[in-house]
Amino acid sequence: MASALTNVSLSTFAPTARGDVLARPQVAAAAARVTFPTAYRGSGALSCRAGGPSTPSGISDKMSESIKEAQETCSEDAASGECAAAWDEVEELSAAASHARDKLKDSDPLENYCKENPETDECRTYDS
Amino acid sequence: MAFCSPHTTTSLRSPCTTIPNSGFRQNQVILFTTRSSRRSTTRHGARTFQVSCAVEKPIVIGLAADSGCGKSTFMRRLTSVFGGAAEPPKGGNPDSNTLISDTTTVICLDDYHSLDRTGRKEKGVTALDPKANDFDLMYEQVKAIKEGKAIEKPIYNHVTGLLDPAELIQPPKIFVIEGLHPMYDERVRDLLDFSIYLDISNEVKFAWKIQRDMAERGHSLESIKASIEARKPDFDAFIDPQKQYADAVIEVLPTQLIPDDNEGKVLRVKLIMKEGVKFFNPVYLFDEGSTINWIPCGRKLTCSYPGIKFSYGPDTYFGQEVSVLEMDGQFDRLDELIYVESHLSNLSTKFYGEVTQQMLKHADFPGSNNGTGLFQTIVGLKIRDLYEQIIAERAGVPAEAAKV
Repeated sequence: MASALTNVSLSTFAPTARGDVLARPQVAAAAARVTFPTAYRGSGALSCRAGGPSTPSGISDKMSESIKEAQETCSEDAASGECAAAWDEVEELSAAASHARDKLKDSDPLENYCKENPETDECRTYDS
Repeated sequence: MAFCSPHTTTSLRSPCTTIPNSGFRQNQVILFTTRSSRRSTTRHGARTFQVSCAVEKPIVIGLAADSGCGKSTFMRRLTSVFGGAAEPPKGGNPDSNTLISDTTTVICLDDYHSLDRTGRKEKGVTALDPKANDFDLMYEQVKAIKEGKAIEKPIYNHVTGLLDPAELIQPPKIFVIEGLHPMYDERVRDLLDFSIYLDISNEVKFAWKIQRDMAERGHSLESIKASIEARKPDFDAFIDPQKQYADAVIEVLPTQLIPDDNEGKVLRVKLIMKEGVKFFNPVYLFDEGSTINWIPCGRKLTCSYPGIKFSYGPDTYFGQEVSVLEMDGQFDRLDELIYVESHLSNLSTKFYGEVTQQMLKHADFPGSNNGTGLFQTIVGLKIRDLYEQIIAERAGVPAEAAKV
């Protein structure tokens, strides 16, 4: 079960769809208004995702420490407020770790530079 | 980037900027200077401002969900519908939880924790417990923002577990409070112009947290399960009851298309929309108020396994009248999505295909191929429409609801 769940794919309809759209008259009219290049961009990001960044070690260490602590706290009294608070800390750090990974994923130096300097040559984008 | 649609950016332009008024610009400048010179003059600035343009008072949206249940993704979809990407405040605390775009500011209610991590541990309370949160301050500050005043909001640092020095938040056009308790305190609840609850079933929550945490050192199936179970009593007592107050609930359940499915890959998602909410007209399928079951896959549209199934109809939810739209299954191709969009009504889109365009734009977000992405996008469009109608009403112009 575990392997199946971790393998969940965020399959997108986009890349395969393009050919279909042109072949279907009722959709062709709509296609004129839908921005297609984004679809390619989206699928590109997906392939990057597979080997996404790992959690910064500071958060990672804290998290594995908090898991151990929670297990110890709960071995004494699983119904206590202390046990719930300990596992709540694990959840908080797990969420923080996930956000930190997302942040790393988004931190492309060129993208960041272009956010601040969109007018420069290297940041120009051209519509075909 | 170059893919931004011009439609979304123009849509949120406040009537103020479209009214030709030579005095207005000047007031804006005054406001700008008084705002940046902080507290001593803020009151004066705010008064000048209110006289010149009442529409600048933000509308306030509440989004409730448990930790790790897709609030961030929802926020990114929402701000995208409003136009422009949301970014953390520039030059501030890098661990700030706030997101700011041209129109919208999203704050995280964890910033109102009254007990930091150590404090909660000592007292044996979770962050879900109202005792760990300062609702007086939350109310005071949301109220101030709603009145068009800037606030000095604390920052809860999720990495260190400490409360960091406060950050200055200016009133935006749309102010979103997201977190565990946006509808818990009655005073805060009454300030909300619209509220949303993300209701993730236990099976799906488990599957999502496995996806999120399994690769982390120290985590195991047991630890993920233990964490969900240990937090559940507080979740049931303090978070879950808030859904009765929500104007829209997005419920995420395991699919019924695959018998005994336990993979959590395919989802059944319900959009529960309260009837009779001012400026909010629920989306419907084919015929408003009827009960409809619809399988779009057939001769016109071929779907891959396990297919797609929609249903729509009136229902009651915590004793209140609601309309429920449900989608089971997932989109594998673009034509499935556009076909479905063309059969839904009251979407509050500005042009045909806008839902599809938004979904494609963020195809890399989780849930872009199923009902979570679809319904989050739709709720974003409904909130944009609500905002425009409220602004139009304040400006005394009859609201022109989106027709599509």
